[in-house]
Formats: sequence, structure tokens, C-alpha cells
Amino acid sequence: MLTLCVHRQLAEFTLEIDVTCAYPVTAIFGPSGCGKTTLLNLISGLMRPDSGQISIDDTILFHAEKGIDLPPEKRRIGHVFQDDLLFPHLTVRQNLLYGYQFLAPSKRKFHPDAIIDLLELNTLLDRLPNLLSGGERQRVALGRAILTSPRLLIMDEPLTALDQELKDRIMPYLRHIRTDLGIPMLYVSHAIGEILQLTGQVIVLNRGQVLAHGDFFSIAHQPKILPLLETHGFENVLPVEVIASNRVQYNNQILHIPPCDRRSGTHIFIGIRANDIILSRQRPAGLSIRNALSGRILDIVETHGRRLVYIDVGKRLAAEVTPEAIEELALKIGDSVICLIKTHAIRIGPDVS
Amino acid sequence: MIFPTPEEYTVLFLSLKVGLLCVVVSLPFAVLLGWVLARKNFRGKLILDGLCHLPLVLPPVVVGYLLLLLLGRRGFLGQILSDWFGMQIAFTWRGAVLAAAVVGFPLMLRAVRLAIESVDPRLERAARTLGANPLRAFFSITLRLATPGVLVGSLLAFARSLGEFGATITFVSNIAGETRTLPLAIFTYINQPDGEAAAARLVLLSIILSLGALIASEAIARKMKN
Repeated sequence: MLTLCVHRQLAEFTLEIDVTCAYPVTAIFGPSGCGKTTLLNLISGLMRPDSGQISIDDTILFHAEKGIDLPPEKRRIGHVFQDDLLFPHLTVRQNLLYGYQFLAPSKRKFHPDAIIDLLELNTLLDRLPNLLSGGERQRVALGRAILTSPRLLIMDEPLTALDQELKDRIMPYLRHIRTDLGIPMLYVSHAIGEILQLTGQVIVLNRGQVLAHGDFFSIAHQPKILPLLETHGFENVLPVEVIASNRVQYNNQILHIPPCDRRSGTHIFIGIRANDIILSRQRPAGLSIRNALSGRILDIVETHGRRLVYIDVGKRLAAEVTPEAIEELALKIGDSVICLIKTHAIRIGPDVS
Repeated sequence: MIFPTPEEYTVLFLSLKVGLLCVVVSLPFAVLLGWVLARKNFRGKLILDGLCHLPLVLPPVVVGYLLLLLLGRRGFLGQILSDWFGMQIAFTWRGAVLAAAVVGFPLMLRAVRLAIESVDPRLERAARTLGANPLRAFFSITLRLATPGVLVGSLLAFARSLGEFGATITFVSNIAGETRTLPLAIFTYINQPDGEAAAARLVLLSIILSLGALIASEAIARKMKN
């Protein structure tokens, strides 16, 4: 369990964090420049808080009043940086063993061979980092951090520099680390889709402050959180059950989805963008749209010049509608509406874990 | 006629000894100061930088004279060294090493500093999070990556020491077998009526030595790259 209570003055704002991360994987979500990287540097000891304390389980890493400030090399925090920061003059094998060699044998929890297998690095061991692809480099960085048997693995947007295809290929390794190695993780990202593949526990950070902390689905629709998610390409995310290769079930309503290879009975997330949802008063006839979810309007708000209508369909959905449409349909809070969604506007997300 | 006489060999070996020791003596200071100037910000950094570069712009004779004032028999430090340790610097080969080291130091420092500046400081921080203490992280990452630059700096200092004349002759004079290095010997021979053949041989030796040092450093730098 990571306990953070830190205060640090930055150029643009003050970082003030007071949270406890009790879950194996906690994600920190926030726009760029919100203080995420600083927070990780405070945890790994690369920066010093102005005041406060940081502890993991019963080990105090930093305590301003007691004058405790463990240097980075004594903290045993595996820090995976956004740029992998592999040592360019060392081979993959030497990079992997760099931290491992400093560790007393009794503290070594993982065997290098096991981690090399897990991350499929066997064929790369004698290469220098400049001959690796982006995804390979990030896997080596990951292995290097894991082999120090860290108390906590902190990852600073490890996938941001990679393209989507590579992200999809690295994600299973991260899930392996979470599930098989049992290292607690703090995962920083500004991509909700990425986070939800690892955990539902999210800390939302903006300008150095914790806006919310908890289960993503229970905090995502808070008025101060949603605009933040919205401006970062947030999609409505629904947990659904696959019932056929192109159909899922959500709260007794059937949705048609693009063909996918998940087995029936699997629980997955699907994503729908707010501006891909059409609102209608009645269930329409003679339309090609296959998906119609009925619900009740919870709220109509304006954020960043966009009108968003929140509809309770079991979970809350956000739909973006023009002011004219709201007027023409005379949409009010409490009204029943039908949400129409094109099949191909639905994105297949990760498994519900 | 081509082969050097024993006397000339003495000159050659003295020059090599002075050059190599000058590099060995300067290197720790150059690495320390190079790191401080590359990575630290503090008040008076500009002054320290200026002081370090002073021997590069001062006439070597001035450097030699200042050394003599400081380390001569009556000099402040010279007296202490002589009284406490019985060590004589001025007018000995040790003084020749010191003169060459002081004059060559800015060249070495500059190369080392640039090399350290070119290493991403975040690599060292990554090493710290992996369990390396500051010294370990510096030696295994930063200094290791800066090695080609450190070698170049060492070569420059070595080459500069081979050519050192003004500071040496002022500080330690021109004593055969003790402080008479290649340039001093060449200068002596061409001032003698029959010394031209000897001077020519020493000139040839100087060229071979300098060329050898250049080729060796290039070869090392190339090997480090691969």
C-alpha cells in the first residue's frame, strides 16, 4: 500500500497530493502538465517534496518532519520512464542485469531467465539498444525495472511513444506483470483506454490537485471530471457481455457491434464517442441504425462550447447534441429518449477484468 | 646518422615520462571539474571557469614564472613542501610535469566537460532508481559514455605537454637529464654550431610521437564506438 501526502511548489502551480493506493494497480490520469511526472519523481526520490511524507507498507521513504529522505537507490521503486532511458553502451542483457547486480541475492525475487521469457527478449540479449524497435526497447526497460525486485513499479506513460499496434502488443505483457508477478503498480497515462485494460482504480489529477480517486465508472461522470475526460477524447465506456460474434448484451438490451473474435460469455468494454450518439424522441422506423438504447435524461450541460446530454441507460451515457437540436426536440431533464448508435461507431475495448 | 644517440634517447624518455605523468596527474581533476562545470550551477561558476581556462590564454612564460613564485624555494607552497616533505619541485622533472599539466589542463578540461555535457543526465537518474549509488552511477554510466571525449582530452594534454616550452624553461630551467624535454633539447641543439643533425633527429622523433598518439587515440575512439 502506497501512502502519499506530499506538497511541492512547481513553476506553474503547487502539487498537493494526499492519497492512499491500496489496490495492486492504481492509475493516475490527467492531461499533460498536470504534475504526473513530478509526482513519480517524488516517489522514486529523483525530486524532493517541500513537505509531507511518502511510505510503502511500513517503510517510510520520505518524511519531512522526521528528516527521512531515502536516496533513490535505497527506495527500491522500479521507475519506467516515458523514454525508455536504456543505457546505450550496454547490451540488452547488461541493461537487464544493471540493477539486478546491485541487489543482495536474498532480495532477488525474480530470476533473469524467467523475466526474459516473460517479456520474450531471448533473441535480443546481445544487441545494443540502438538496434531495437520502440516496443522492444520499452520491454527491456520494463524487464530492467522488474529485475530490481521493486516494492512498487511506477510507469510514466510507457506506451505514449509507441503507435497503436505496438501498444496493443505491449499491453498483454503489462497484464502479465500485474497478474503473475504480483508487483504493485502505479500507472500514469492520459489515455483512459489504456488504463482500463489494467485497472479500474484511477486517481484523476489536474494542475497538481487530486480531483477524484476511486473506481473509474463511479467517478467518470462527476461534473469536474467529465470535461477533463471529454477534452482528451473520452468515450463512453460500457461493460457488456458478448453473446455472439457481432452482438453484445447490455442491461437486457442488445447492441450490434462490428464483428469481433471474443467468445460468447466474455465480459468486455465497448467505447462510444459522445458525438457518435444520436438522440431521438421515438424509436424510429425505416432507419439503417441498428442500435437503440432507451433511457432518461439526467442532465444537460455546456462544457467547452459543447452541449452534452447525459442519459441514464443503466450507466450514464454522454451524447453531444447541438443547441438547436435540444431546442427543437425540447429536451428536458427527466424526459425519455432513445440513443441511436451506428454499429460501426462502436469500438471494441478490452476484457473486463 | 639516423639513429639517436643515448643522450637523445634520454631526452625522448624524459618527454614521454613528463607527458604521460602530466595526463595521469590532470585526469582526476579534469573529470571532477568537468563534472562540476557540466552538471552543477552555483555562484562563481563563471569565475571558476575563467580560472581553469587562464593557462590557455596566458603566455606560457607567465605561467612558468607564477609557478616559480608559488613553488620556488622561497615560494609559499615551495617552502612548505620543502620543509615538511623535503620535496623539491622547481628545477626538477616533477616541476616539468606540473608545468605541462597546468598548461595542458584547459584543453583536457574542455574536452571532458563537453563529453559529460553530451551525456543525457536522465540516464544517471535511471541508474539511481535501479540501485546504483551516485558514484557508481557516475562511473558506470556518465563517465563510461564520456570516455571517447576523455581520451581526446588526454591526447590533447599529452600533445600539448610534448610541445611545452615557455613554462617549462621558466619554471624548471633546461637541465640535461632532468628537465630537458624534446622542445628544450631541440632549442639547445640548434643553438650549437654542430647540433643540426641531432636537432633533425629529435624533430623526426617528435613527429613520429605526435602522429603515433593521434593514430592511437583515433583507433581507441573507433573501438569504443563499436
